[in-house]
Amino acid sequence: MSKIFSLTLTIKRYDPDAEKTWFQTYKLEAGGILRFVDLFRRINVEQDATLSWASSCEHGQCGSCSVKINGRPMLACELLVENAVELFGTTEFKIEPVTVAPVIRDLVVDWEKAYERVHRAKPYVISPKQLPPGVTEHVISPQEIARYEDATRCINCFCCATACISSHRSFIGPNAAMASIVRMMDTRETAKEERLDLLYSEEGVYRCHTSKACTHVCPKKIDVAHFIALAKEGEF
Amino acid sequence: MGNKLQISATLNCDVLIVGAGGAGLRCAAHLLEHKPNLKIFAVTKVSHPQKSHTSTAQGGLAAVDPKDKTDKPIYHMFDTWKGGDCSSDQDVVKKIVEGGWDEIRWLEGRGMHLSRDEEGNISKRQFGGHTNEFGKGDVFRAVFEADRTGKGMMDTAWGEALKHGSVFINSAVVTELLFNEGCCVGAVLYKIRDGEFVTVLAKATVLATGGSGQVFRITTNCRGNTGDGIAVVLRAGLPVMDPEAVQFHPTGIVGPGILASEALRSEGGILRNKDMEPFMDRYAPKMKNLAPRDIVARSIETEIREGRGIMNPDHQIEHVWIDLRHLPDYVHEVKLKEVASFFKTYANLDSRTQLCPVRPSNHYHMGGIPTNAFGEVQGDSGRIVPGLFAVGECACASFHGFNRLGTNSLLELLTMGRYVGERVETYLSEKPISAPKGAGEASLSLFSSYLSGTGKENVGRVRLEMRDMMTRKVGVFRHEKGVSEAIQELMAFKERAGKTSVSVRDARWNQELLERWELDNLLDNAMTMAQGALLRKESRGAHFREDYPVRSDEFQYHTLVSMTEFGKVTFGRRAIDMSLFNAKDEYSEHFKIIPRKY
Repeated sequence: MSKIFSLTLTIKRYDPDAEKTWFQTYKLEAGGILRFVDLFRRINVEQDATLSWASSCEHGQCGSCSVKINGRPMLACELLVENAVELFGTTEFKIEPVTVAPVIRDLVVDWEKAYERVHRAKPYVISPKQLPPGVTEHVISPQEIARYEDATRCINCFCCATACISSHRSFIGPNAAMASIVRMMDTRETAKEERLDLLYSEEGVYRCHTSKACTHVCPKKIDVAHFIALAKEGEF
Repeated sequence: MGNKLQISATLNCDVLIVGAGGAGLRCAAHLLEHKPNLKIFAVTKVSHPQKSHTSTAQGGLAAVDPKDKTDKPIYHMFDTWKGGDCSSDQDVVKKIVEGGWDEIRWLEGRGMHLSRDEEGNISKRQFGGHTNEFGKGDVFRAVFEADRTGKGMMDTAWGEALKHGSVFINSAVVTELLFNEGCCVGAVLYKIRDGEFVTVLAKATVLATGGSGQVFRITTNCRGNTGDGIAVVLRAGLPVMDPEAVQFHPTGIVGPGILASEALRSEGGILRNKDMEPFMDRYAPKMKNLAPRDIVARSIETEIREGRGIMNPDHQIEHVWIDLRHLPDYVHEVKLKEVASFFKTYANLDSRTQLCPVRPSNHYHMGGIPTNAFGEVQGDSGRIVPGLFAVGECACASFHGFNRLGTNSLLELLTMGRYVGERVETYLSEKPISAPKGAGEASLSLFSSYLSGTGKENVGRVRLEMRDMMTRKVGVFRHEKGVSEAIQELMAFKERAGKTSVSVRDARWNQELLERWELDNLLDNAMTMAQGALLRKESRGAHFREDYPVRSDEFQYHTLVSMTEFGKVTFGRRAIDMSLFNAKDEYSEHFKIIPRKY
């Protein structure tokens, strides 16, 4: 825990006022269990107050701090220095914003734009099944929930959409598709037809090229590709 | 930017909800379900409502299931009253507890993925401080969605608000409340993404801005929980209530402060100091590591203060160890799976073979903007401020008194979100709303002053030092000398804050500018906490005064603190509602002033 690493962070900057993009290098010494968000904060205090970066909960539950580190989309709040050194085999890191939405400044992207895809997928029960009189809650067996539970853990960090080879073009994207697939599998949803219309539309699941990059990069370790495969087969 | 700041637009809506976490969006969803044509603006500081801090709640949501023969609302009311150290308002406690299960139905019917038992019914788990028959036995009262109850709830709330047509204004903060003839008529917003100020005129304004945990260096709270709503209310000349009532969780993970569940200790974890001594044996010879939260937190702080803590070299934070090495693999892999994974992720430690670093971490603010049981904001002497409502952690009704029970916060923010919605519904009128003269001037002049600062101080450094000081002097332990010093130091921090400069002039996503404003908000929050803590010469719930270690009936009231100029405070009092006690029925005796002993 006490080993000190000499790190070189090359961060992609963007100044919306000057419409200028450049890479800036910061060198810092840091202990092994500092996280990348801690490094950004330290840069703000010690070197450069102008560096902008996004985060909120900072423990992997909100998905605000996704960035590309040496090309790989990751949550900056979960990546420890010593793990990053081991994973990439270097102390030099190139950090860029994720590519699913326009950059506002530096590492901050317009999440609102990214979320438009999720909103199109209707992330709610469109038309809930009515309960019989006298019954106040639905009965859903744990086995039934287990089929789709993993997909409900998605935090919309868009790491999958960043890594996806299809989502930059016509595909609605893995996380947005999954938001609809969950409700296809949930017995409380009755608007299945409407959901299928989207899932099998021009921007639907058949745009997926099955690279499985989504599963590979998911910080929540959700097998995203599995759910998309179920949708392709109609196995909800 | 460089140019003069200005209000770029004036927008109109029926209801302005500032804060789109669980409380704000439950309120929005209620209103839109009942009046679909309402124009509702839901403003959030984060980039999308799903990113709200509500999503991080883990354990559960307390609600008495009417189908459960072993539990009754009156038991839950008693637990809340006792847990809050006899400082909750009993009318509020009754209203919230009685509305609990309706909220579970609301969530369940709208798609929340609550964990189920083998029969497919909603599962419930036990939680500390929740009992049946007035403390007799344990009770299963907390519904949950695995270890992510807050997320499940938040997903349902934002989904419903979206479905029903709420307008989201993301990445925006409230900088000023607007009043016309004593009524709140909306607010001025600073849109972080666009770097613009807008005036929003609304028939009703609901503050749901969340907590203030960033006042402290070690906290479970998210980066944006800087007490903005409280600061804006103070600047409007309104009081805050019980600001000194701040809860600390005994075991936050070093360094990010992430909450490591109580389960660590209930499953057999042993707290140890740097000499490997199981020190809880000294502080609580009988209960040892199973002693209540506040006792454990104070014991850990004492160890650290007396030099028996360990310094984490990376984070430069002192801590003690929790030793889980003797526990069977099954406990690590199944029962403590989630918290074991936190140690792995954030400290790279294997709890099966290594000691894990923990220390008390700021967790929850019981105090906040004073409201009645309907969420209507109160000014001095209890007068209602028409058109202004507050709900969630930023508000204080007061349900939690001076100490919140686990799983009671999610319950409160949902039920109160609905109750505020109901009240707003009846409040809305067709009366046209107009902006007061000079609307927005205060915001523009404040932000202009930030931009024109030329000093050499760094906002981040001042913020860090202030948070460190608050953790040491107004944290788990408080005493006259330390808190008085804290007040003086806060004055000095305020002066230093005035000597900072903002190097980016463009207002679009100007993180420096936002953090400069947040620093002022944190300082305002910290000052009222310290002033409240100094005034309250007793120990009550989470407020612990070393020089006055017992509760005193002399202080059996809520503190009101107003602050029109930094450091210059005036105090008021609000009586604690005792309507359950005064009902003089078969249960009244349980709702008198009782000792908080478990």
